[in-house]
Amino acid sequence: MSALDSERPAALRPQQITAAALDEKIWLEGGAGSGKTSAGLARLRQLLAAGVAADSIALFVPQRSLAEPYLQALRAESGYSGGIVRAYTLGSLARQTVETFWFLIAEGAGFAQPQALPNFLSLELVQYFMTRAIEPLVLEREYFHSVRIERARLYSQILDNMNKAALVGFPISEIGSRLKAALGGGIEQAHIFDDAQTCALEFRRYCLAHNLLDFSLYVQLFRERALMLPAARARLSRRFRHVIVDNVEEDNPASHAFLEQLLPGCQSALIIYDSDAGFRRFLGADPENARRLRQYCDRALHFGTSQVMSAGVSALSAQLSQHLSEADAPLERESDAAPALHWEAHRFHPQMVDWVARQIAELIEERGIKPRDIVVLAPFLSDVLRFSLRERLAKRGIRARSHRPSRALREEPAARALLTLARLAHPRWEYAPAAFDVALALMAGIAGLDFLRAKLLADTLYQRGRLLPFHQLRSAAAQDRITFAIGERYDQLRAWLDAYIEAGGSDAIDIFFRRIFGEVLSRAGFGFYGDAAAGNTAMNLVDSARGFRWSLEFMRRYDDSLDLAADYARMVDRGVIANFYLRDWVAEDEDSVLIAPAYTFLLGNRPVDYQFWLDIGSEAWSRRLYQPLTHPHVLSRGWQPQAVWTDADEAALNRQTLRRLFLALTRRCRRGVYLGYSELSESGYEGRGLLLECIQALLRAAARESADV
Amino acid sequence: MFKPRPKQAEVLAYRRGLLGVAAVPGSGKTATLSALAARLLTETELADGQEILVVTLVNSAVANFSRQIKAIVQQGNLLPGYGYRVRTLHSLANDIVRQMPSAAGLSEQFSILDERASNEILADAVDAWARRNPDAADAYLGAEHLNNPQVRTTHWVKLLIDSARDFIRQAKDSLLTAAAVAARAERRGGQLPLAAIGSEIYQEYERALAYRGAVDFQDLIRLALQVLQERPDYLASLRQKWVYILEDEAQDSSRLQETILRLLAGAGGNWARVGDPNQAIYESFTTADPKYLRAFIAAPGAQARELPNSGRSMRSIQRLANRLIQWSLAHPNAAIAQRRPLTTPYILPTPAGDPQPNPPDNPDALVLYAEAFSPSREAMLVTESCKRWLAENPRRTAAILVARNGRGSEIVQFLRRKEVPYVENLNSTSTTRAVVGALARLLGFLADPKSAAKLAAVYRVWRRDEREIPGREREINAIAERLKRIKRVEDLLAPRLVDWLEEALPADEDKPLRAHLLDFREQAAAWLRAVEMPIDQLLLALTGDIFRNVTDIATAHMVALHLARLAQANPQHRLPQFAAELYGIAQNKIKFAGLTDEESQFDPDAHAGKVTVTTLHKAKGLEWDRVYLISVNNYDFPSAEPDDTFIGERWFLRDRLNLSAEARAQLAALRSDGAYAEGAASAAARIEYAAERLRLLYVGITRARRALTITWNTGRNGDAREATPLLALRAWWESERAKGADHAPGR
Repeated sequence: MSALDSERPAALRPQQITAAALDEKIWLEGGAGSGKTSAGLARLRQLLAAGVAADSIALFVPQRSLAEPYLQALRAESGYSGGIVRAYTLGSLARQTVETFWFLIAEGAGFAQPQALPNFLSLELVQYFMTRAIEPLVLEREYFHSVRIERARLYSQILDNMNKAALVGFPISEIGSRLKAALGGGIEQAHIFDDAQTCALEFRRYCLAHNLLDFSLYVQLFRERALMLPAARARLSRRFRHVIVDNVEEDNPASHAFLEQLLPGCQSALIIYDSDAGFRRFLGADPENARRLRQYCDRALHFGTSQVMSAGVSALSAQLSQHLSEADAPLERESDAAPALHWEAHRFHPQMVDWVARQIAELIEERGIKPRDIVVLAPFLSDVLRFSLRERLAKRGIRARSHRPSRALREEPAARALLTLARLAHPRWEYAPAAFDVALALMAGIAGLDFLRAKLLADTLYQRGRLLPFHQLRSAAAQDRITFAIGERYDQLRAWLDAYIEAGGSDAIDIFFRRIFGEVLSRAGFGFYGDAAAGNTAMNLVDSARGFRWSLEFMRRYDDSLDLAADYARMVDRGVIANFYLRDWVAEDEDSVLIAPAYTFLLGNRPVDYQFWLDIGSEAWSRRLYQPLTHPHVLSRGWQPQAVWTDADEAALNRQTLRRLFLALTRRCRRGVYLGYSELSESGYEGRGLLLECIQALLRAAARESADV
Repeated sequence: MFKPRPKQAEVLAYRRGLLGVAAVPGSGKTATLSALAARLLTETELADGQEILVVTLVNSAVANFSRQIKAIVQQGNLLPGYGYRVRTLHSLANDIVRQMPSAAGLSEQFSILDERASNEILADAVDAWARRNPDAADAYLGAEHLNNPQVRTTHWVKLLIDSARDFIRQAKDSLLTAAAVAARAERRGGQLPLAAIGSEIYQEYERALAYRGAVDFQDLIRLALQVLQERPDYLASLRQKWVYILEDEAQDSSRLQETILRLLAGAGGNWARVGDPNQAIYESFTTADPKYLRAFIAAPGAQARELPNSGRSMRSIQRLANRLIQWSLAHPNAAIAQRRPLTTPYILPTPAGDPQPNPPDNPDALVLYAEAFSPSREAMLVTESCKRWLAENPRRTAAILVARNGRGSEIVQFLRRKEVPYVENLNSTSTTRAVVGALARLLGFLADPKSAAKLAAVYRVWRRDEREIPGREREINAIAERLKRIKRVEDLLAPRLVDWLEEALPADEDKPLRAHLLDFREQAAAWLRAVEMPIDQLLLALTGDIFRNVTDIATAHMVALHLARLAQANPQHRLPQFAAELYGIAQNKIKFAGLTDEESQFDPDAHAGKVTVTTLHKAKGLEWDRVYLISVNNYDFPSAEPDDTFIGERWFLRDRLNLSAEARAQLAALRSDGAYAEGAASAAARIEYAAERLRLLYVGITRARRALTITWNTGRNGDAREATPLLALRAWWESERAKGADHAPGR
């Protein structure tokens, strides 16, 4: 291994990689914004330019969106040979491999029907089957009786435990004992870990009996069975002759173990490690473990840290992280953080939101900052915050966009509209929607229709579960109120529904969604036209409905009375399925202010001029998500099975989390940070989180210093 | 700026250890405690992250404390709240549990049920139980009521709900889980039937909470304690953080509150408690007891201080209050005397030169009526007296204090009839109702936006903050009337072919009004765009637009939570149903949510020239120039005499049993594995109640600054007597007046 190389200017960096031979294995480490992914891209181009067959090059990332920069670049280029470059995550690879070699592993793995095909479960279907499999047990034996938690969340924590076991590599039968040893000492709650254990085993039993494969099961099969097959190994070696691994610090021990097995046989490798990241710990990321891969590399490069920060931001970054570091060093005061830090205290949350909107307007209008160079971050982005901030910005003519990683599908207006239309189109379900929902669906479905007129339409023309033609509005004056242009669109939509009903109305539900979206709603004059977010939601709904149909099609063997389409609509309505889904990054207007949870912004990996940190009193800035039945650290690879998790561990973890976050945020910030503070949060609580404490300490130190002067 | 008098300065000299302060009404204990917090803050070098923890009783006091500390401490270029945190016991417990929810078996998103929601769940549980056990009443009903279906189906079930609530509260206060109670009840077989009933309902209730991922207020406190006891490492870090604990209203501290604060302070910790044991009036509703504070002050190792000076009342009123203390110490009923319902210190006037001198003494302004009035005669006389006095004293404040809400409502009828200006501060406060009402109107409009009448109502809501400005109400009404006459609401809110504004207000006409309505249009249109949001978030978004006041926001938040739960239980509910729910709450005067009335800060001085009608409980902490203390008879202020009736003893039960007290006694027997004898708890409850009522009387007397009138009535059935303590006070005052002397006891 060669010496670390950290002092070269950023512009030279991709060349450092391309200067390496085509059969070299390189470990590349660097901070945020130091040009690592650019180097990865340069490497990819170099391989292709040298005539390496595309299908022998594999990209390996912790989540699919992180491969996007590579795939986009490839789409823009052409002229390389030998198939296509594939991007994999552990999940996709495990699933493909298990599917391919199913008949070789199913019997040994204990499936009841090894000769029948496997059923891979999406996230939402897992939730559905989980409810089916263990709810009777939970009710009958009064499991978890001392836990105050909604049932849906309870099941998702049991799944989480199973996934952690698969990713870290311990048997699911150890979940309970690990949690109990670490968290259960002397606690009234200790029995809940036994309950969680029983439920995990019961769900696994159910899956084996019905040929169902959830994430934890196929990852486990991949590790323990598929990789043992010579044929599978040979296939993977072919596909992974050249490998580029990005954000390896965000990946889990199972991914790392797979790479460890693979790397010795690879011809070349580039493994990229972000030393300022490791944010996905709650999903099993293990940045410490990732470092093991370095030993399989021929040399290591170091790209140093970000070059984007101004002196003020740099000072802020240093002071905040120093305040949280374990070492008791005096605060570094070489340069002043004050010019980079802006804040104002407010009593109420809405006042704070007003202030944020004003400051953003000032930055854009008076200082010429581009909207895309401003980001508004909060630990949690509630609809209230998103809504009220976007409204305030819109009033000032400022465009904003927001991404939230996951929420219930039924909470999306576009999805709700589609479900309402499905109910209108299927009278035989005897599940007619309420007039209020019809009004909402009309508003969402017809461009230019406001809620007031939508309500008028629904109140007069929606009768006995059917929409009547527009001309049946009693008078010309009434039609006038709606306007004829709208009336015409309304009639088109209605006519489509009528034609569908008359044709028998028996499409599968996902096909229905696809058709009404493609044939009506996405056309000019209708609500989803040009609305990428709505289109995305519609596609998510189609995927979810199709997944549901496919999986349950198979369940008909056990129950042939299932009406899948109607069941789907009812299940979504009740929140049993489609309760969580991952929303892809939507190509919205890019020159707009981004409003996002802090970690979503970080995973987007793009520096900006100004960051607004909202709700700085919130504990959530520094804290993991607490769940009574699971624990990301106790179920991690580095945890000693008999150790006890203490408050000191928790406090140290919080400090470490916040410190990492500070570094990651400030290194993606060029000019300044605005702090949004209100004494009362949007829920009326008074937050006193660690972030606030750090800021107070910083301000106090500055106040003392100026007093000394 | 706060200038301490000598006794206050003694408190301010506190620097470490345990401090117990017994204060009298009007002695400035909150001001003193705020000043102490501010002084400790400026004189102690707190490390980063360390804080002074101030614990008080109600939310309004939290805001008040924060304001007072902020006013004293100059925090320069810092964010507010640096170095101190003011909490109620509930919000403190919330802080503690939210740091470590999983240790308490909670998820991050656990919800806290307000009183209304938990009552609903309890009522469901009791109802189900009663239907399964239709014969359970037989053991407790009086023989003459055994076959009365009304009693069996309605009164008995209502009583069960109340008793079960007390039982569960007591169990949680004793840290007994439902499972633990059930196990103990089973061990005792059928010996303790009420405990067995309580246990079954408790289990049912807990299952319902668990299923909702929710806790009630008692749980929050119980779980906070549990976390502190089970996580010594966490406790240690909190001790490190909260270097001082200052506790106000410590007389209303319960055993759990004391235990939690004692744990947080730790051995050798810094804990200062200030309270007035004579004003502990929450015993019957909670598990609070002034004995805890008294014992704390008397314990070796605690620095005991007094705040005996008060500049609030004229001397004669202070002497009357002191006389009540003195009389109660030698109460004719030995059991009551033994409980020491009221204790010294006596109230002293402020020293000469004090910034808050007592009002000049005027013995003629202290009137204790001997006459036996009927309730309506009493109401009439007080109303007339009030009317005369307010006419003569338009800048002064007055109050009519009652023991029960019902009596307050009757008085309000009289005042209305006689056109006496009044403010009502009864059952659910007008602010709570106003907040829910405003939200109901907003949702009502969003559910049916084509209604011009609803639009007009929303317009009023939009300008609700301005109604107090003189003359503004008329303007608002005029515009609202105009909006009400709009034929097509969309022509104003989403104009297409016709713009109502253009037609009704041409551009050159009344420009300010036009601009104003443009603003309103923009706001209402924004609300209409929000109808797709989940109900709780929609409600919070609306809240951000119309409420500025802390209490209003907190109330609105609770409404949002309530509706979110409703939505969860009824996924088919939409805006029309949610609006209907809120109208229901706003109209039926149910005491809504955990935002009890004390939490909306009532300021008597903002209502000069009007008379406030309020209960004695809500009057605590407040003062008026003239006070009428009415209905002081042996029904509202019993003394455990043979002909006294007690609210807790229902007419349809046998042997004057107090079912709630008996059930709690059986719970205590379960807990201690001790014996239980029927009836003893009912008798003890009488003594306890009589003692608390004496303190309530004391609170009433000490609300008055310059004039106090006390009357009594013969009750609904005409058989009530003058309350025994009033009789004693009146006899004493008459003799004092006869002596014309000013050197009476209590000095």
